[in-house]
Amino acid sequence: MMKLTQTAMNMTFKEKSAWGSLVALALISYWYFPAAFDAASDAADPGRLVWLSVACIVALIIIEAIYQSVIAAADGGASDERDAHINLKAERIAGYVLGITLFSLVGRIIAVEAFEVAETMTALTIAVSILLTLTVSEVAKLISQIAYYRFSA
Amino acid sequence: MAKTHVRNNIRVLRFQHGEMTQQALAEKVGVTRQTIVAIEKEKYSPSLEAAFKIAAVFGEPLDAVFSYEPGSR
Repeated sequence: MMKLTQTAMNMTFKEKSAWGSLVALALISYWYFPAAFDAASDAADPGRLVWLSVACIVALIIIEAIYQSVIAAADGGASDERDAHINLKAERIAGYVLGITLFSLVGRIIAVEAFEVAETMTALTIAVSILLTLTVSEVAKLISQIAYYRFSA
Repeated sequence: MAKTHVRNNIRVLRFQHGEMTQQALAEKVGVTRQTIVAIEKEKYSPSLEAAFKIAAVFGEPLDAVFSYEPGSR
């Protein structure tokens, strides 16, 4: 417990921020995406997906705002050249992940449409899938940031 | 843990300047304490501007604080 407190004290504001964002995003995504894919395939009630998405975005914004203001009050929200350097490196990795996941999604859509290898994807399912690729790339960015803060850079 | 090729004497210089704390050095240079820790442990190579600022805090030329060791990784 003492070591954990010491580790937290050795983190910059940006690193604590990345940890908070990662946990919030992972928890909400873990709940959101199964429910969203379920709602997207329910053609009878497309409004459920909209409300689900709005609720998740609002929840994410509230959690982030509360957490960021708490750690900013403790740390002053300072950032410097190392934070910017790490952010750039993490953005590059996130870009690769986004490219790979988006191309995989396009490949899947083409395979489904051309070869009927699986059930046809609806527009809503594709929309949720695109949101999933964006979330995966954001998670990759946050994990990369934390790894750079912990192990190098 | 990957180290950079840039070596430094910051720990020694802090000791010679009245055990200057990492926090005090960070405030004078305008970076966070964690960045000074990373530079001191040679995990992060500072920008040229930050390196000059660190040298200026100790009143030393740049090459008295930092040196480059190619291929030492």
